[in-house]
Amino acid sequence: MSESEEEEYSYEYDDSDAEEYGDDDDGGGAEDMSLDAASQDGTSDDDAMDQQDQKMSSINPNEPPSGFTFEASDKIRTMQSSQLRPIMDDLIREVADVLGVPEPAATVLMREHKWSKERLIGSFFEDSERVQKKCGVLALCGCGTGNAAARKKGKITCKICLDDYDPDEMIAGPCGHEFCETCWYGFLYNSLEKGPACVLETCPEQGCNEVITEEIVQRAAPDLLPKFKEYQLRSFVDTYGLTRWCPGAGCDAIAVAPAGKELDDIPVTKCETCHTEFCVKCGEEPHAPIQCKSLGLWQEKCRNESETANWILANTKSCPKCNTRIEKNQVGFELCLLILQLFGGVRFTLRSLLLTQGCNHMTCSKCRYEFCWICMGDWAAHGANTGGYYKCNKFNPNDDGNQSDAAKAKRELDRYLHYYKRYHAHSEAADFASKSVKETEARMVLLQEQNNDTTWTDVEFLKTANEQLVECRRVLKYTYAFAFYLTDEQKRSRFEYHQEMLERFTENLSELSEKPLEQMCRTEVVNQTRVVDKFMKAILKYVDDGMEDVY
Amino acid sequence: MSHLCSPEELVDLGKDPPANCSAGPVGDDMFHWQATIMGPDESPYAGGVFFLDIHFPADYPFKPPKVHFTTRIYHCNINSNGGICLDILKDQWSPALTISKVLLSICSLLTDPNPDDPLVPDIAQLLKSDRARHDSTAREWTSKYAM
Repeated sequence: MSESEEEEYSYEYDDSDAEEYGDDDDGGGAEDMSLDAASQDGTSDDDAMDQQDQKMSSINPNEPPSGFTFEASDKIRTMQSSQLRPIMDDLIREVADVLGVPEPAATVLMREHKWSKERLIGSFFEDSERVQKKCGVLALCGCGTGNAAARKKGKITCKICLDDYDPDEMIAGPCGHEFCETCWYGFLYNSLEKGPACVLETCPEQGCNEVITEEIVQRAAPDLLPKFKEYQLRSFVDTYGLTRWCPGAGCDAIAVAPAGKELDDIPVTKCETCHTEFCVKCGEEPHAPIQCKSLGLWQEKCRNESETANWILANTKSCPKCNTRIEKNQVGFELCLLILQLFGGVRFTLRSLLLTQGCNHMTCSKCRYEFCWICMGDWAAHGANTGGYYKCNKFNPNDDGNQSDAAKAKRELDRYLHYYKRYHAHSEAADFASKSVKETEARMVLLQEQNNDTTWTDVEFLKTANEQLVECRRVLKYTYAFAFYLTDEQKRSRFEYHQEMLERFTENLSELSEKPLEQMCRTEVVNQTRVVDKFMKAILKYVDDGMEDVY
Repeated sequence: MSHLCSPEELVDLGKDPPANCSAGPVGDDMFHWQATIMGPDESPYAGGVFFLDIHFPADYPFKPPKVHFTTRIYHCNINSNGGICLDILKDQWSPALTISKVLLSICSLLTDPNPDDPLVPDIAQLLKSDRARHDSTAREWTSKYAM
């Protein structure tokens, strides 16, 4: 973590600590985690009053509730929502006991306090009525006047459908507002249609802020209760700092980080259900070496600048020598054939399309000029064997001394585009590499068939190389976002040197593993895979250690 | 579930019609109503008759009705398309509200415009800086479009 990052985080912590209940919806869970860590240790007793101290000790908050607890594991683990529900229920039961309020009210109170017992108990005992009113559970906690609503004799008019009903056909919320069963059902049904926000729904009466809880759902629309509870759990996961939904498509597993333990800067976990890897703090794919916060800034910037960038990053480039249009092939074989059928003979030949694989080494189909896709320079200057340099990852700001605003803006855009172009290129290459897993398997089969005496394990090196490529491309992609925010000139130039090396090794591996099968050399690929892996890990460690020491 | 309660509301409107307002279905379509509001006496809209269009969504009253002016009006919370900026027609909607209550709220919006949450900033600006000029323009529009 760089120094400036550290400052930002500690500032944030102080900020949210000073607040009563944080409106810090920046998605970062760092402060929640530390607060919760404190409450798990039982230090919450300090803030509370004596009477509550007794209650606390009677239920002993230090003793873990039955079943799985956060403390029981010191690793991030993924679980199904059904496993997380008891944890939420235990928390609610505990808080309901301490505060002496019904469980549905405790759910609402906890939600409004971002599931931090500490914060809730602190503000609750300061001014319980104000907290109950603000969170919309005043009547539910029995403090309001709603319960005292007199039971009228004779027919009552439902204020929603304006029909008259017998008193026993009406259902009243804790606030005393009565409506007929049909209208309650219609109201709740429509609220649930709104999705997860339905847990914030208030009483249908105009101006009443009493929150709808599972209690009224149970009474008026029991068949909607499971859905309502599901949304409650969802809101628990969304607002509780220690949990995060797996971002994998259609996967409903939840990553749970242990409380009371410092998390890594980028706590990466692998979903046990769908095997998606993601960062528990921000829910993005693993993004080392860049921090969650800087990544957010970077993505925001990319969104804002995307049109300019996309315009500049037009899909095709001209051959630097003969100006023939060349498209880097990031598409499959079938699509190549389709393009060929549609535009065949105009611009492309199948060979030119297939020649250009995920590697940045390009060969013009017309003039055979070899160049680098990133910098469009002669490829001869790139290879490791020439002892030349791989200049395409260095940005040279124009030192023409022109400091006018327009020039500054242009330079800033140039700087951004320099990093964005490379970020984008590696991102595409990573996607391409991860999509080519299937083709790799086909190649493995072919390779095995070529030599009769080889086994499946003998050709597995290709798969390993492919996986290594995907990972390297991803890390390289984020090194560019990271370097964009590196302000220290010296550190940046050193970092970019290492980045350049990693890039060179990665290109080398990409080229080796994409070679035609008859030229494939197993030892070479295995070696390169190992070298790249070691080098990549060393760079990440170097960033982790503050980039001070030279390794 | 569709639960249009308009027939009951018609009765409600008939029993207890709000002063200066009226409303009823257009033809046979119970989901499409027309309403009229007489400009309140104590406002620059006095003497004008303003027509409004009301569309009920299928899940009324759990979703708010769509209400807009069809008569042009000079008002900082009502734009040139007749759109009304009123909290109870948006997030503050409650299924316990009825059309007569909505019309009453619109009437009071005519008497007391809310320049702090404007739909037409220019009109709100003028209302705050030069109430007399604002009122005279409003009267002019009323006699031009609503009489």
